[in-house]
Amino acid sequence: MLEITDLHVAVDGKPILKGVDLSVQAGEVHAVMGPNGSGKSTLAHVIAGRPGYAVTAGEIRYLGQDLIGQTPEERARAGIFLAFQYPVEIPGVANIQLLKSALNQVRRARGETELDAMDFLDYVQSRLGLVGMKEELLYRAVNEGFSGGEKKRNEILQMAVLEPRLAILDETDSGLDIDALKAVADGVNALRGPQRAMVLVTHYQRLLNYIRPDRVHVLADGRMVKSGGPELALELEERGYGWLEAAPEARRARA
Amino acid sequence: MRIAQEERAAYLAAGRSAMEAGPSWLKLGRHEALESFFRAGFPGREEAWKYTSLTALEKRRLHSPAPGAEFLPDSLPAGHLLTYGNGYALSRSTSLPEGMLGRLDVALAHTTLPAAARFGTLAGRESALVALDTALWREGVVLHVPAQWRVDEPIFIVRTIDEDGAMVHERSLIVLEPGARATVVELCNGRGDYWRNAATEIFVGARAHLSYVKLVEDGAAAIHTGALFARQEQDSRLDVLSLALGGQLTRQDIALDLAGAGAGATLNGCFLAGGRSHVDHHTRIEHTAAHTQSREAFRGIAAGRGRGVFDGLIVVRPGAQKADARQSSRNLLLSPLAEIDAKPQLEIYADDVKCSHGATVGRLDESQVFYLRSRGIGDVQARAMLTHAFALEACAAIAPGTLRDWLTQRLDGALDRLVEEGRK
Repeated sequence: MLEITDLHVAVDGKPILKGVDLSVQAGEVHAVMGPNGSGKSTLAHVIAGRPGYAVTAGEIRYLGQDLIGQTPEERARAGIFLAFQYPVEIPGVANIQLLKSALNQVRRARGETELDAMDFLDYVQSRLGLVGMKEELLYRAVNEGFSGGEKKRNEILQMAVLEPRLAILDETDSGLDIDALKAVADGVNALRGPQRAMVLVTHYQRLLNYIRPDRVHVLADGRMVKSGGPELALELEERGYGWLEAAPEARRARA
Repeated sequence: MRIAQEERAAYLAAGRSAMEAGPSWLKLGRHEALESFFRAGFPGREEAWKYTSLTALEKRRLHSPAPGAEFLPDSLPAGHLLTYGNGYALSRSTSLPEGMLGRLDVALAHTTLPAAARFGTLAGRESALVALDTALWREGVVLHVPAQWRVDEPIFIVRTIDEDGAMVHERSLIVLEPGARATVVELCNGRGDYWRNAATEIFVGARAHLSYVKLVEDGAAAIHTGALFARQEQDSRLDVLSLALGGQLTRQDIALDLAGAGAGATLNGCFLAGGRSHVDHHTRIEHTAAHTQSREAFRGIAAGRGRGVFDGLIVVRPGAQKADARQSSRNLLLSPLAEIDAKPQLEIYADDVKCSHGATVGRLDESQVFYLRSRGIGDVQARAMLTHAFALEACAAIAPGTLRDWLTQRLDGALDRLVEEGRK
């Protein structure tokens, strides 16, 4: 589903990703772990098409299509979803208004008809339960005045409503207490399916106690330095990232 | 600058019929006001007119027009309705008696009416434009709500001007006696290169509550200079909303005096400046009495070569202890040649007060744009959504309901056109 080959990305002229490879198949959940500043968030955002992130070399293919050059909205309509580490507050735009506009755009791109107001409300309410979110938050401005946990649940709600093929979750676990973490993980697990792939970008292993990944990758200094099964995450939890960053053979292996 | 002798005759000719009607005290006042305009001339050099020039007005050959036609906007909500064409009263559709809502010149002919005594006490001669208005206004509007009366439905005053070169001086007097309530919408629309000069005086009695909306939808070549003066008594409430959505040059001077203890006011506005248009709001809120509260929020949006000005002064007088004032001016530029100048000012002469102000001028937040786009919403739609959300905050002080929905529609429609222009 997602094939990233030798991806180089610069932000403000500064190289951040220096040759990343990643291959994710439908139905799989991958975790991308790594220390702060390793380029994890850059990878997440460049897949979503954030302006200002320049791909200087390499390829991102999604469902066989070259993603580079596609706008963020084209990618979203094609089924890519990014859950933000820092969900943006948008005063004056009601949460429900964002959901409705976004869903209708995505449905149109899928060749489906737009939902009328009643069907849309029924549908959104059925999704609220998945993330344990209070209905009143639908009528508030997007993320404005939301707690950290509410913001993250709101991201998962948007994902549940839009039903993407490929979901990238950028540090969705950061800043959550254990209840919120469980609620978010329950939502994510409920959305796992054979047609859907997910990439969890995370610093800590904690989230992986609740969402079991198929593959774990370690990103350090803009390169994937190690890949393995779910047990790699536990090893990282125990040993930290230092041993990987220091290992020169890992870098040579990628070169 | 003084008005030259040869030009004075033109104003006298334009105003003759208006100036010769009415009781003698009014006629005398008109002549004195005209003299004072002649001496002062059009404003230009003073600080308050630094960003806005009326030279275009001085160059125009203006005349006093004949009565024009009525023009009502789409889906005007139910309510009391007065219409004016080129300054002349056209129609009156209301269940309120003539003495409560009607023509100001008729009311002033009966000096026993309580509203008459208030006329001209706020709109003085310090401003040359107000002086000219005082001299030349005709017919006008008076609303007088007796003590404890509630006028539930909104009162719409639709003022249309449809003649090129027309010079129309409008006058409104709004008096709410203690405990009264009313909602007034003054709508200014039209077509042609006319000049609209307006002055409104508002008196809000103790515990009375007035909502007042000025909706400017003037034609693209129009010049509009407007002045609003309000005085509030004890525990009264006044909500003012100024929506400037049309016209070539719009200047609104708004002065609120919180004269009675416990009085509260909101003064909100939203202005749109596209093309080469120019919109200038000068506001002044005076906290004269103790325990007075004011909330002022203006939103400005400029596109094309549009130019916006917000100059907001809050004065807290020595007696106004425990005054609480907040002011914010937020402005959005949709194109590189658009410009908005925001100048918030505080003058505080009391020591136990809470005052804050803030002003920003900027572009849309690109992280918000990306967030919406990452949800599948197109770039154009995302920017439009954010721009609408930004502007609509100005309407938040209007009670939810039909009137707010309608005002929101008017703002949305004008904003769609501006956003479209900003993309070009």
